[in-house]
Amino acid sequence: MNEFIANFADQFEDTDSSEITAATEFKNLDEWSSLIALSVIAMVDEEYDVTLKGDDIRGSVTVGDLFNIVKSRA
Amino acid sequence: MAFLKVDNVSIKGISACVPPSVEENKDIPFYAPGEAEQIIAATGIERRHIAGPDICVSDLCFGAAERLLEELGWEKDSIDLLALCTQNPDYRNQPTSFLVHERLGLNESVMCLDFFHGCPGWVMSLSSVSSMLSASGLKRALLLVGDTVSKDQNQASHESRPLFGDACTATALEFDPAAPAMLFNNGTMSDGGKALIITQGGYRHPYTHETLDIEIARRNGTLSVRQTDDMDGMDVFSFAITKVPKALKKLCTEFSLDIEEVDCLILHQANKLIVDAIAKRLKMPANKVPVGLRQFGNTASASIPLTIVSECADAYRSGKQKSLVCGFGTGLSWGSAYIETNHIVVPEVVIYQS
Repeated sequence: MNEFIANFADQFEDTDSSEITAATEFKNLDEWSSLIALSVIAMVDEEYDVTLKGDDIRGSVTVGDLFNIVKSRA
Repeated sequence: MAFLKVDNVSIKGISACVPPSVEENKDIPFYAPGEAEQIIAATGIERRHIAGPDICVSDLCFGAAERLLEELGWEKDSIDLLALCTQNPDYRNQPTSFLVHERLGLNESVMCLDFFHGCPGWVMSLSSVSSMLSASGLKRALLLVGDTVSKDQNQASHESRPLFGDACTATALEFDPAAPAMLFNNGTMSDGGKALIITQGGYRHPYTHETLDIEIARRNGTLSVRQTDDMDGMDVFSFAITKVPKALKKLCTEFSLDIEEVDCLILHQANKLIVDAIAKRLKMPANKVPVGLRQFGNTASASIPLTIVSECADAYRSGKQKSLVCGFGTGLSWGSAYIETNHIVVPEVVIYQS
């Protein structure tokens, strides 16, 4: 989980990684954008060999929600 | 498995034609300060050629074909097959190849054939047309591929308007017993097709007054909220970065190709994020992965041959080229190929003049 949060936080440039926890509602982060969504999809494919779809991102609220999807498919 | 090995056919030339009007992404009116620059950096797209209301696919295909025939020195009477692949036909019920046939002044003995396909269209129709030449006794074919995909975009969309440009291309093919085989691996993921579908305006959902009004507003850029959803960017992205590397690896495995020996990997120019992500997964160095996005954007089915013309013309003109290519998108589907060419004719990109 901590590794996933660190990888997730790596996709942001201006957001401090200490701001991001499992409970973070990531779409409310100022820096969140469609481009960051794509880099999260790329990171998950590369690091965990899991394919996230648009519905997975849209259906997730917190970083923990995303982690659970990745974990269930890894 | 759709692996194709096509013997005795070679590509003799490739040309491309774009409309004269250009839209600069930095000048798109609705972006907040700095937003356009951010999008340009991520997509690699600075500007795009836009057909506008007066230029259609048959015009741009004619421009590309006329120049290519001229530089090849091919007599019009020597062409047996005129094929054309587009998703943006001039008319609903007249295959666009017939319009180009008439304008080029080709004779009655030419066979005309249209393909309906999107971004994988060049590879898909190339695999079909080359197979026909290989097996049928036809000697020469002209394959015209391209779209005016900017016309389909929601002009108020911050996401899709900066991506898409218009272009058409011509590829000259000839029966040639000395030609190395063209190798293809084509595939289909139809259950993902909704990621790239325009639902209204076909025969399943003909326009009603209401949906036609929405469509007109989309094209005018006056639709304030995005009421139609014709592309799921996240789905397309995850499809592209996972399926395309796999398709190319399978092509190499099936035909015992060493990916390190190819001279270039030419991918459908979707956007820089996608091209870079695929190249990285195939461990292809950037200098072997030409990118033509800066001037032209994503030109749908035209993007692979356009990139050859705009970015690699000298290499293709001056010697042998071993190319790995992959078109992907619409369907969802992918068409990947390994093609060897030798001193082909590549005119400069033609700017269409009506």
